[in-house]
Amino acid sequence: MRIKRWTAALTALVLVAAACGGDDDGGTAIDDSATDDTTTDDTTAEESPGEDLQGTLRVLIHQNPPGVEFMENFNSEFEAANPGVTINMSIVNADDIPTVNQTRLNANDIDVTTVSVTGFANPVQPYMTDADTPYWQQLIEAGLLMDLSDQPFVQNYDEAAIEDGSFNGSVYSLNLGRTIYSGMFVNLDLLAEVGVDVPTTWDELVSACDAVDAAGSKCMIAGGQDAWPVFVGSYGLLGALYPDQEGLVQDLWTGDAAWNDEQGQELFDKYATYASLLDAESAGLTGDSAAQRYTVGDVAFGPMGAWNAGPIDDGADFEWTYIPFPGSDDAADNQTLFGKYDMAFAVSAETPVADLAMAYLDAFSEPATYNAFANATNYLPTQPTSTLDNTLGQATAPLLQAGNFTVGFEQWWVGPKGAGQWANASQAALWLYNGDFTDPVQAADQSQADLESGL
Amino acid sequence: MSVLIDNQPEPDIVIERMVPPRDPRARRKRALRKGISYGILFLFAAFYVGPLLVLIFASFKSLPEFFRNPTGLPESFSLGNFTEAWQLANFPGYLMNSLIYTGVATTLFVIMSVFVAFPIARGYVRGAGALLTLYVVALFLPPALIPQFQLILNLGLYNTRQGYILLFLINPIGLIILVNYIKSIPRELDESAAIDGCGYVRFVWSILIPLIKPAIATVTVIHAIGIWNELILATVYLTNDELYPITRGLIVFEGVYGSDWPKLAAAVLMLMMPMLVLFMFLQRFIISGLTSGAVKG
Amino acid sequence: MAAKTRNLFGGGGGFARLAPWLMLIPGLGFYMLIGVGPSLATFVYSLTNATGIRGIPIGWVGFANYQEFLLEGARSRDNLAALRRTLIFMVLVTSIQFGVGLLMAVLVNQKLRGRLVFRTMFFVPVILGVAVQGLMWKLFLRPGGGPMDSIFGFLGLESQFLAGSNAFYWVIVVQIWANAGFTMIIFLAGMQTIPADLFEAAAVDGATGWKLFRNVTWPQLTPAVNTNFLLNIVGSLQAWMLFLVLTGYKNGTQVLGYVVYAEAFGQTGTASFRQGYAAAASIVLFALVLMLGMSANAFVKRRERKYMA
Repeated sequence: MRIKRWTAALTALVLVAAACGGDDDGGTAIDDSATDDTTTDDTTAEESPGEDLQGTLRVLIHQNPPGVEFMENFNSEFEAANPGVTINMSIVNADDIPTVNQTRLNANDIDVTTVSVTGFANPVQPYMTDADTPYWQQLIEAGLLMDLSDQPFVQNYDEAAIEDGSFNGSVYSLNLGRTIYSGMFVNLDLLAEVGVDVPTTWDELVSACDAVDAAGSKCMIAGGQDAWPVFVGSYGLLGALYPDQEGLVQDLWTGDAAWNDEQGQELFDKYATYASLLDAESAGLTGDSAAQRYTVGDVAFGPMGAWNAGPIDDGADFEWTYIPFPGSDDAADNQTLFGKYDMAFAVSAETPVADLAMAYLDAFSEPATYNAFANATNYLPTQPTSTLDNTLGQATAPLLQAGNFTVGFEQWWVGPKGAGQWANASQAALWLYNGDFTDPVQAADQSQADLESGL
Repeated sequence: MSVLIDNQPEPDIVIERMVPPRDPRARRKRALRKGISYGILFLFAAFYVGPLLVLIFASFKSLPEFFRNPTGLPESFSLGNFTEAWQLANFPGYLMNSLIYTGVATTLFVIMSVFVAFPIARGYVRGAGALLTLYVVALFLPPALIPQFQLILNLGLYNTRQGYILLFLINPIGLIILVNYIKSIPRELDESAAIDGCGYVRFVWSILIPLIKPAIATVTVIHAIGIWNELILATVYLTNDELYPITRGLIVFEGVYGSDWPKLAAAVLMLMMPMLVLFMFLQRFIISGLTSGAVKG
Repeated sequence: MAAKTRNLFGGGGGFARLAPWLMLIPGLGFYMLIGVGPSLATFVYSLTNATGIRGIPIGWVGFANYQEFLLEGARSRDNLAALRRTLIFMVLVTSIQFGVGLLMAVLVNQKLRGRLVFRTMFFVPVILGVAVQGLMWKLFLRPGGGPMDSIFGFLGLESQFLAGSNAFYWVIVVQIWANAGFTMIIFLAGMQTIPADLFEAAAVDGATGWKLFRNVTWPQLTPAVNTNFLLNIVGSLQAWMLFLVLTGYKNGTQVLGYVVYAEAFGQTGTASFRQGYAAAASIVLFALVLMLGMSANAFVKRRERKYMA
């Protein structure tokens, strides 16, 4: 039969294609290298006397307006100090970071990259019986990232940051800052006007919202259009109810905790209340625009990440502070800031300009430069010598000095293979907010069932 | 599958013309029908103009003004958002890229396809039937994103213009339209041309192609629109800002400046303008390409 | 099809004999290389645990990916929901877009003032592209004071639109809005080629309005109907770019095409790169499209025989 012959021919073609692929050094990606347009003889490189740095460095960062602005300035300064160097920086959405890393590392088309926007806290743990390897772990295991352990600039960072940028004892990632994803901005002027105090417990928050509503202002907004910004309040509630977040993940895997046990149900009930406190306008706001919307001044609370402090500081002409989301009924339990690492540089193992990449990271890690970076981006510094001297810094300093910062649930959670889409209940406030579920009991049961189906 | 149309040209059939006009009842009925028609058309139009108007209004507002009043008329018409958006992104570059990708890939595809479609339609090559089946089945293939990515990577064409264009050199539906249309061209033509000593390539190039212009126009339009609209492939294959087509450029712009809706609206409008102008120029070609029967010859 | 026709141009021998083949090779070659080859390779991939990351060894896993995708845990329930959603998307988009496009074509085919403006207006979204379409509608459907929200508020309704649990249906609305113009143009093309004498003959027989449409326009429109029918079915089964632009990868909105992309390129939020698994998902999608596409094709062929004989 004619079709059969064709099929055979096609199969052969595929096999040939498959056989010929694979062991190549990756594509020769576009490289608009500026290597030949600057061979300067009057070098003014004060940074690294004695060695002339040459070439183009391809850098990838994720979108974050103050971070982008700082990096652009830093790049021009670096280029000015090293006349043979061109920095080619790309900016992508945080959502696209895994995709772009996969394609560009595969194609050997990147030198300094942001591998993960959440740090390396969550490799697969021994008690996780059947889980997919997180993609950053895949990248390391594939040998695509360079071991930075011996680089002197690594020592500029604090121990926890180095450890959480390591895998199997080697440093692969430079964690450039911590950020809080469980806190809430508070409009102090508005609260004073309404006549309520800054809430320290869950009940106080709920009644403050009633008072604010009664006064004709809005209680709280978050970036509901992007979905994830709604999680900020969730993480706050989760953190207040389960202070040991790493332990919670383990308990969920081993069955010692369930989303629909008593404590889990309390969490879901509070999620439902939180969802009802969010203003309707939230659904039309992205994460960034929610912060800008908040600066208008008619909203009391902004459960948002600390990274929004910059735009809020710039835009708001009211007094504000940033507090841990008061999720617990006991004020003493509402004293911890949960968060993650944000922005972390890794280097491609096959970069043709390794020296340049190291010089770049070295220059960035200079304490003075780093301190400027942290203050521009409002990241809690990962260099021990650096401090935030802005409003966010003042608001968080007492808690941070007391050691009340913890890497949160998102960084520990790895879902079991085969678990359903509702298994990660740290996101459940969103489901209740946008109507996937209306009943918190039903939502908790469903979440636990989805989790169990993968265990 | 049928070719779009291969009938006699007869534009603008007006049903009313056939109705005897004197009867007042018929006239009333006609007026009623006209009224209903306009009613429905304006209802549709609201959905087409509405989003555009909102975009225009938003583009003139400052961000605080937008938050206070996202929908209504702007307080003043300042062009600040336009100049800022223009400086922030490389829109002329994106537009040029889209034009290059669409133009080059469509041209290459159409020329190559004619040379595939003709011998298949005529059975001048062995296995013509099987070949056609291959194309029909492929109509339903999901885009083979994953192996295709590995292929382009291994060819060294990742993140290059050539590689991106390469992805658009196929379109089964276009080929099937061409084959069907060529089948309607009488075979006697080939015979007489062959007897006159006309070579194969010359025959296809200078005799066949002019004859199948309507089908070519149709295929060109369908294929070009597909490339112009592509977003996924641009996301996967192009990482360099200088290579982005409009779709990707705009989405990246949204990712970076998306919190600033007025600026985003200004950017969208600025990108729309050249497209609309281009469309106005090409409108006749596009519409007539799709209404191929009407431009036969 | 009987394909044993002599190459009329082969008389001179040599190049002349081979010319059809030689000229066919570039087109066919690219087609095999970029289209058919990778499509078949997708099947091969679906039997492996490929990650798509260079340097990670690839192993055969048999049909494990299919088993996981279709049968394992709550995850398979979500996948089947995506499958069902893909079908709903297809049925709703195909039928509504077909109807709206036809209605538009009938309306703007009349001798009405401004019909060219209407035609252009309805067609313009097609050329604007999915990114612009998406951004316009995000703004139009903005909750908390956007235009549609105001209309909804006026009617006493409430919706979170693209952020809510019925976002899926709003994407369908946008998809139809974006492509109805294309359907309209094809119908219009069909209508304009119907010979006038057919209408005259029918009018002499006393047919008007609906009857005229039913007995003359509709059967004569068969090629356009069939083209639209197929284009819509195949197009809507594979269309998911609007989901990417309008909602992102979000519970309750995933269609199969998006699942494939998200699994293959690390867009699921938490997971790893699983291109073998994604390939299996795309083969499932293929099976679905092929089944529906082929039955649609058969249906169309029957219609053609009925009306065009």
